[in-house]
Amino acid sequence: MPTRSPARLVVALAVAGVLAIFLVYTAIAGHSIPTLTPSQIQGKSGKLSIVGTVVGKLDGDSHGASGLRFQLVDPQGHSAKRVDVVYHGAAPPPLFRVGRSVVVSGRYADGRLQGTDIVTKCPSKYTSAPS
Amino acid sequence: MADLGRAALVVTFGLAVYALVAGGIAARRNERRLAASARNALYCSFASTLIAAAVLATALVRHDFTFTYVAAHTNRHLPVAYALSAFWGGQEGSLLLWLLVLTGYGALAVAMNRRLLRDLTAWVVPVFAGIATFFSFVLVAVASPFDTQTAPFDGAGLTPSLQNPYMVAHPPMLYLGYVGLSVPFAFAAGALLSGRTDERWIVATRRWTLAAWAFLGFGQLLGAHWAYVEVGWGGYYAWDPVENAALMPWLAATAFLHSVMVQERKGMLKVWNMVLVALAFELSVFGTFLTRSGVVNSIHSFSKSSIGPWFLAFVVISSIFSLALITWRLPLLKAKTKLESALSREAAFLYNNLLLVALCLTILWGVLFPIVTQLFKGETRTIGRPYYDFFLRTFGLPLLLLMGIGPLIAWRKTSLRGLARTLTWPIVAAAVTGVALVAAGAGSSSPGLIAYTFSAFVLATIVVELVRGTRATGSLWTLVSRNRRRYGGYVVHAAVVLLAIGIAGSSAYSSSVERRLALGQSMTLAGYTLTNRGVTVDPKPNVTETRAHLDVTGPWSGTISSGDNQYVNPPEPSREVGIKTDWLRGEDLYVIVDEAHPKTGLIFVQVLVKPLINLIWIAGIVFLFGAAVALWPDAREQRRLVARLAPAASA
Amino acid sequence: MPASSGGSSRDLHPLRRRSAVIVVGLLLAAAVVVLVAMPFLREPVVADDRLDAPTDAEEQRLALVEARDRALGALKELEFDHRTGKVDDADYRELVGPLRQAAAAALRALDSPQE
Repeated sequence: MPTRSPARLVVALAVAGVLAIFLVYTAIAGHSIPTLTPSQIQGKSGKLSIVGTVVGKLDGDSHGASGLRFQLVDPQGHSAKRVDVVYHGAAPPPLFRVGRSVVVSGRYADGRLQGTDIVTKCPSKYTSAPS
Repeated sequence: MADLGRAALVVTFGLAVYALVAGGIAARRNERRLAASARNALYCSFASTLIAAAVLATALVRHDFTFTYVAAHTNRHLPVAYALSAFWGGQEGSLLLWLLVLTGYGALAVAMNRRLLRDLTAWVVPVFAGIATFFSFVLVAVASPFDTQTAPFDGAGLTPSLQNPYMVAHPPMLYLGYVGLSVPFAFAAGALLSGRTDERWIVATRRWTLAAWAFLGFGQLLGAHWAYVEVGWGGYYAWDPVENAALMPWLAATAFLHSVMVQERKGMLKVWNMVLVALAFELSVFGTFLTRSGVVNSIHSFSKSSIGPWFLAFVVISSIFSLALITWRLPLLKAKTKLESALSREAAFLYNNLLLVALCLTILWGVLFPIVTQLFKGETRTIGRPYYDFFLRTFGLPLLLLMGIGPLIAWRKTSLRGLARTLTWPIVAAAVTGVALVAAGAGSSSPGLIAYTFSAFVLATIVVELVRGTRATGSLWTLVSRNRRRYGGYVVHAAVVLLAIGIAGSSAYSSSVERRLALGQSMTLAGYTLTNRGVTVDPKPNVTETRAHLDVTGPWSGTISSGDNQYVNPPEPSREVGIKTDWLRGEDLYVIVDEAHPKTGLIFVQVLVKPLINLIWIAGIVFLFGAAVALWPDAREQRRLVARLAPAASA
Repeated sequence: MPASSGGSSRDLHPLRRRSAVIVVGLLLAAAVVVLVAMPFLREPVVADDRLDAPTDAEEQRLALVEARDRALGALKELEFDHRTGKVDDADYRELVGPLRQAAAAALRALDSPQE
């Protein structure tokens, strides 16, 4: 009878295999995009998401050629920095409006975000203070 | 009245502290009367929490806006049922619900086991009391539901999309699950503290764990169904941190439900089971921390709440406590037997656990990633859908296959030859299904085809098991009633298979298209032709309903409508999608009109066809049924247990 | 009582109501104290205050009973699996021996009490 059971080796190899899959995938595929506030956007470019509060006038139509235009500021209100957003695609979710917190994803270049996806949050229910 | 509620919570806190301290001393010094006193304190803590809950419920039903909480989450127009459901609609109320379920479960679990496991239960009381101390402290000092104010004329109301039966049932169901995981945790801690580390604590809490797991699973399906019909983006799961917060403890609990069987039969995996039950418990509290604290961006909440740090501290402290306890009792947790073969039921459960925990930790990494990158890189990076989809497939598909193979492997070891014999029919069934599916066009998606083929395989193995078992015992009823756990488990496996088919069909084989349709214009998708017949605006007392109507021809003929509702009180919009379920073809026609112009009849519409999606909801029903079979009380088993553990009928 | 009064202005005298709540609260608090102290009230003086947990001898016997039940259960399961064809004859022959021995040993250990 072998002193060490081969079964344990098999199990150990399985664990190692799972770990290897995880590490290889996260190393190669990445798939994470930066999620920034308007004050952090300086100098960045490419695919990213911006978290902010919608301000300014909502101009245009997301289905139209020139898209839906608005601006975002820091959600905590720490900075006055504004980011221009031009959003193309399906109409934004019904909760989208000026004053709401949103996450807009898209491509950022030349000081403007070409948004392709908007996520609005449910008005916060789990804060301690009444909204 | 608010004073009564506040006082009741203070009493709960006091009783919890007493049960913790007195219970701990009594267990340590082996004192019967003090232990009984601590137990009574635990029972009374449920009663006082119930009083607090009754106060809040009454205030909600009576629209008592002097309660800040009531004013924040209801208004005069709200029907009674939804006013009552606002109990768990906000931070403070949901915490109170958590405490209510916790003290209720704790009192019941202790009461049911106090004679069977006397010294173990003596330690379970202070553990439960410790958890209750934390929650009651938070409710008394940090987030009280009983803050008062000068009553405004009307309250803020409940978001319309939450005024939905699914959203009424979803949180309580989840809480029965989350909090239910405290029971096996408390008993595990009790086992370690009392030194009774054999399988008794597992047997005592088996049904509790199963019930909690069933509630948690079903609660998630309720939430997914609500998201599908009410939020209306065409999907049912967005890998949002708050959704993951429920999925992670459920996966850990699933692993635990399987691995305890190995400990019960073979006396193995004792340390692993302790770690797993602690993981499941910590994940459930951590999950609620994620939901409430605003520490990660989620569709549920942005703003940081003051309650976060307290929860985080509790998770950290209880995790350290659990690890220390396990490490201290390591000598008592030695395995009685060894793993002998890589092809045995024990090994199959190990692979099952490996895949489930791997999936759970992968999701955890995805949830924590933004926090980790913020801490170490100074920049928040979020992980998107593709990551989760990849690992769901990579770990989920082998898990699906294992669900079919595992039950057919014997304990200790099975020869390859023997296994091949048993698996012949299921493999043939799967192969035939696979070929038929490819012929039907399912080859367009490899993961989808694999999922379908594996599902056929698993269903075939379940049928084989039932047929063979019925032949051996004579009747299906006898077979199932003699081993409810196993056959209930098979029904649950069947539910998981239905879930897998539904998920595969609705994601791998769905089609979607977006169009701009003028009045009278048509579009086609997957055999359906939809024609824009115009937009109607219907003003009602509390809501204005805008709907675009489309005539549909194809596999189904009729009209489907979609648009949005604009509510008056509270002034919120909600998107209303049109869903038509075709049961014969097993698919949903899903129409989202996101922009409709009543005057011109111009609409922008997204149409999706989702094959087999309703299997997901059917799976929920089958899941509950299977859990019920497995939970079914066994009078014979109970008598045996009592006879063995409490031979002298004591007071 | 009017349902949506928005406040307590139209209820009974706030003072009377408050007193009622206080009385109820005090009664409940008293009940809680009594219940928590009950074990000591019922048995103010007691000969044996120990937790009545199984003694070491009882524990050993319990462990043997559980071992016996586990062995017999495993044997029954193997027989059933063999009967339904999950375990073929060759595997059965290999597995049944050790299980029978384990069951026999457990039964023996139970019948002859240890020193």
